[in-house]
Amino acid sequence: MPEVIIDGQQYEFEGQHKLLQFIQDLGKEVPFFCYHPSMSIPANCRQCMVKVGQYVKDRETGDYETDENGENVIRWFPKLQTACNIDVADGMVVHTQETDELVRRAQKDNLEFILINHPLDCPICDQAGECPLQIQTYKYGPEGSRFEVKKVHKPKRVQLGPRVVLDAERCINCTRCTRFTEEISKTHQLTITSRGDKNYPITAPGAEFDDPYSLNTVDLCPVGALTSADFRFKARVWEMNQTPSIDITNGKGSNIDLWTRDNIILRITPRFNADVNDHWIPDESREAYKLFNENRISRPQQKLEGEQILSSWNNAIATLTEQIEETDNSKILFIGSPHASVEENYSLGKFTNLLGLKQPVFTPHIEEGTGDGFLITDDQAPNTNGCRLLGFTELDGASLKKEVKKAELVVLLSDHLIDRALLSESDLADKFVIAFATNHSETTKAADLVIPITTAAEHAASYVNTDGRIQRTFRAKEIRYTNRRLDLEMSEGRLDRYGTNFDNWVTEDNKIDCLPLWSFISEAAKSSGLDLTLTEGREIMEEIAETLEPFKGVSYPVMDEQSGIQLSIKSKEKTKA
Amino acid sequence: MAYEFTKEDLKEIEKIKAKFPEVMPATLPVLWVAQKRFGHVEPEVQKLVAKTLDLPEAHVHGVATFYTQYYKEEKGKFVLDVCTCLSCQLCGGYDILHYLEKKLGIKTGNTTEDGMFTLNQVECLGACGYAPMLQVTNDKYVNHLTPEKVDKLLDDLKEGKEPEYEKIGMPRRKNI
Amino acid sequence: MSTADWKNYEPVIIPDIKDLDKIDVYVKNGGYKALESILKDKKKWADPKSVINEVKEANIRGRGGAGFNAGLKWSFMPPADGGPRYLACNGDESEPGTFKDRKIFEYNPHIFIEGALIAAYAMEITTIYVYIRGEYKAYIDMMEKAIADAYEKGYIGKNILGSGYSVNFYVTYGAGAYICGEETSMLESLEGKRGYPRVKPPFPAQKGLWGRPTTINNIETLAHVPSVINRGAEWFKSVGAENHPGAFLYGISGHVNRPGVYELPSGVPVLELINDVAGGMRNGKKLKAVIPGGSSTPVLRADQLDGITMDSESLRTVGSMVGTAGMVIMDEDTDMVDVLWRIAHFYHHESCGQCTPCREGTGWLEKILLKIKNGEGEVKDLDLLLDLTTQMEGRTICALADAAAWPVRYTINRFRDEFEARCKKVIKASNKAISHQS
Repeated sequence: MPEVIIDGQQYEFEGQHKLLQFIQDLGKEVPFFCYHPSMSIPANCRQCMVKVGQYVKDRETGDYETDENGENVIRWFPKLQTACNIDVADGMVVHTQETDELVRRAQKDNLEFILINHPLDCPICDQAGECPLQIQTYKYGPEGSRFEVKKVHKPKRVQLGPRVVLDAERCINCTRCTRFTEEISKTHQLTITSRGDKNYPITAPGAEFDDPYSLNTVDLCPVGALTSADFRFKARVWEMNQTPSIDITNGKGSNIDLWTRDNIILRITPRFNADVNDHWIPDESREAYKLFNENRISRPQQKLEGEQILSSWNNAIATLTEQIEETDNSKILFIGSPHASVEENYSLGKFTNLLGLKQPVFTPHIEEGTGDGFLITDDQAPNTNGCRLLGFTELDGASLKKEVKKAELVVLLSDHLIDRALLSESDLADKFVIAFATNHSETTKAADLVIPITTAAEHAASYVNTDGRIQRTFRAKEIRYTNRRLDLEMSEGRLDRYGTNFDNWVTEDNKIDCLPLWSFISEAAKSSGLDLTLTEGREIMEEIAETLEPFKGVSYPVMDEQSGIQLSIKSKEKTKA
Repeated sequence: MAYEFTKEDLKEIEKIKAKFPEVMPATLPVLWVAQKRFGHVEPEVQKLVAKTLDLPEAHVHGVATFYTQYYKEEKGKFVLDVCTCLSCQLCGGYDILHYLEKKLGIKTGNTTEDGMFTLNQVECLGACGYAPMLQVTNDKYVNHLTPEKVDKLLDDLKEGKEPEYEKIGMPRRKNI
Repeated sequence: MSTADWKNYEPVIIPDIKDLDKIDVYVKNGGYKALESILKDKKKWADPKSVINEVKEANIRGRGGAGFNAGLKWSFMPPADGGPRYLACNGDESEPGTFKDRKIFEYNPHIFIEGALIAAYAMEITTIYVYIRGEYKAYIDMMEKAIADAYEKGYIGKNILGSGYSVNFYVTYGAGAYICGEETSMLESLEGKRGYPRVKPPFPAQKGLWGRPTTINNIETLAHVPSVINRGAEWFKSVGAENHPGAFLYGISGHVNRPGVYELPSGVPVLELINDVAGGMRNGKKLKAVIPGGSSTPVLRADQLDGITMDSESLRTVGSMVGTAGMVIMDEDTDMVDVLWRIAHFYHHESCGQCTPCREGTGWLEKILLKIKNGEGEVKDLDLLLDLTTQMEGRTICALADAAAWPVRYTINRFRDEFEARCKKVIKASNKAISHQS
């Protein structure tokens, strides 16, 4: 097998590899700024300089030539090479900064150049703490500056579009952002303007950078030149916890990270998954962080004389139990939801089963023509296929209306059917409506009992995307009844770990008074005398995998290891993007 | 102001496009067509070029700002590009530039109040043997400049008389 | 013809013939004979390869500055696969001190066109572009005319001279960017983009214009081709210096009596070019320094020039290069600090901004040199400048950073006294304190 020698260590390889990526894949490091594995390689930052040579082969025998000491003869490239764009080859010898003084010097020289016109305003820069320039300068840069002349000045605080702000002085001209709009989002909205050290990225004059994927350029930017208009100045990155999750704003199931501080989700960023969203997410998926914080239902609410008032958990359980007992089984309708997780829908289904009721129904939330063939789908919900695989009855809008008409008790799971215009207020007027929901809406307003449940940010649960891939979320945010320090699966940020209860950053009010659906249902079942204990998503999924054929082999450990599992779905269910 | 290409321009643009297998290569020549027509390639003109060629506006903007000969803003009627690079520097290019500054009463990079002249300092124009020299509005070279020659050039331009192409004879071999 | 006989050399590219730019005059003087020969004389030229071999044998070293064997470059083109293949002729001459190709456009455009056609045939090329710098408006017009004439006479177009070989030939042009003289940057510009040099590999021969095989040659290089075909590689090699054969279009400018472009064999002694060809120094001044081949080539002091000839071998012995043979001559009154600052200003202005060391380094060099020029510099700044040149050299995609670094390094090294004299004397802290009190 072909071999490459990096810093004196031999590595075998197969196929084609760019040297920088190869080194990274080995868990080693060479500093860089412009390279990105999903885009073209311009090799313009010149940071990933390494020394490259080749063992000399005897033309006739094909063996490596050796010197008098028996060492292989190496023919070095006359210049240092950028590792990003050079192909790994058999018999290649590479010295990185770890073993070569010249390479160390070249990388330091380059950082000195990058920094001369950079404003060095880390203390007021949003990127600080997650800035490749800052990190690599500490690791590989010069200790002081020899630059004693005037810096180049460029536009600052330029609102490039509704969501992205430019500070051109911080830009190091890596062209990742312009390449993104050329190669990935293909809106071609950004270009580099001017020439030489006056260069910076910009839109055409008067044009807005309203690319539906514009915020990816903020993630891509290796410095603080592009920042998010929304997130700017809200928090320093080291104050936040980063928790893996799944985008719930559409059917693609893009992998994301939720960034929390004091139980408020402050931003959403993409998490790499080669099989789903690569390194990207749409801007609208980032907006979803507000769903987790704002307009949340906290404590059960019950309608009394036409007005919803705060109630208690005991009362909510009692009311649900009473209503089910009092209503003729054939007049009870449970509606599942493509907006809720597999585990939540399963819990609901199991509850109806034990009660001897029919399986919940559901109506997919598809808006034809809103998808873009990339990461935005026509499907507005994250778990349509999950409902299908659970065997729920799929109804179109008209059939749902008919079913509702027949019912006297309607139990709704996380689906704002009035807001979706599938039902009207009058459709529900003469029924008793119980809504399990996360956020207030026109639909919850119409309910007689509203039971607050956890969002994807507050529970660990799974979603099956439009392509049939099941992926899961993690708990990012505490609810009133959980404690980050006791929950081993929750991430702890610096403040969580080292802060004390006396620190003024801890706000109890940020914890929502809600419960995971399964916890509530377990309580309700107990009160109905049923044997049902559903403790958490992980165990529910084990049960699902054991009992339902489509979910065979699914478990949290396997999903975690493989970043999701592809389930087999019927092709018609592969809702087109 | 709304800019439009004339029918003739559009015909020329078609001719330009025919030279290449794709439309993007027409960017530079069509920016030239636009500058010839409107005297500059301000943002609105860049937009027109992008629309005409069906190319992204940002692309045209990036190209227009990369190349120094495109006027990204309105200039004087005549743009005097004085070369001060190496050979011209050695042969008095800066003297000519300063003479023009004094004569026109403006600093390099500016336009006279009557909008007649813009004075620029430019990099090597490839007339090193005929230094010092200048170029008038991206067109004719005026070589071997002296203050007198500059005076005459300015007088001629004011009268609307543009300089002729100066054919510089080859050095005859008998001189060697 | 040995170099010593340079006075008897008969110019081929820019001979003393009236109206040679007119196609009829060119044809009457033996023009397009070489093209006809390679297309029709199958005994002499069995196939396109035979043309490449002859040119390779002649060792026409690229006249754009890099000096690579043109025929060898042609041989790098992959075998024809039926798809488009391009020849891009580089007429973007912008290196300060260089003004030779315009003479070809003006006086003998057809010898270049003929050379390009021969090259195109040899490499089985389907389309030729000549990219001319935008400032050369007059020459762009002249080339448009010359190419139109050649189309009309059937030297370009479909089935040239009944040979079955067809090729198109177009003029295209820049708009003010020195960097577009770099071959891959020129390709980008030709494709209608910002002139950013491309990363190599892939080389243009593999992936050039629109991803297709492309060869780039300098105008003068191609203008040498017809005479190689007409008179043979041996003749070409007999002209001028052994390792850098053929004639040069020497562009001589600066403080000489008769600046201009002269076609003479390579390897003429520098001092003879100044004194005999260019009529000696202006106003009887003494020679101080020579930049031999465009602003990027290291400057030489007058005392380094004894016996030095204009070819790569000889210039290497004194640490310089032949470049474009655009010689800039400086007399004793020349301020080397000013000259170097102006060169640094040029490269700062022309850096495309793609690679870090060049984008940042060229500006830094200029700013320090300006400080020194203004009497504000310190001796340590000179050492910083030298340091920066090593930080820039060989660290970028194209050679612009090298071109910016070399003049700084060599001008400071070769005229260090002059630079130190310009630096301010560092006032000791104690002296400063005293002056504050007074």
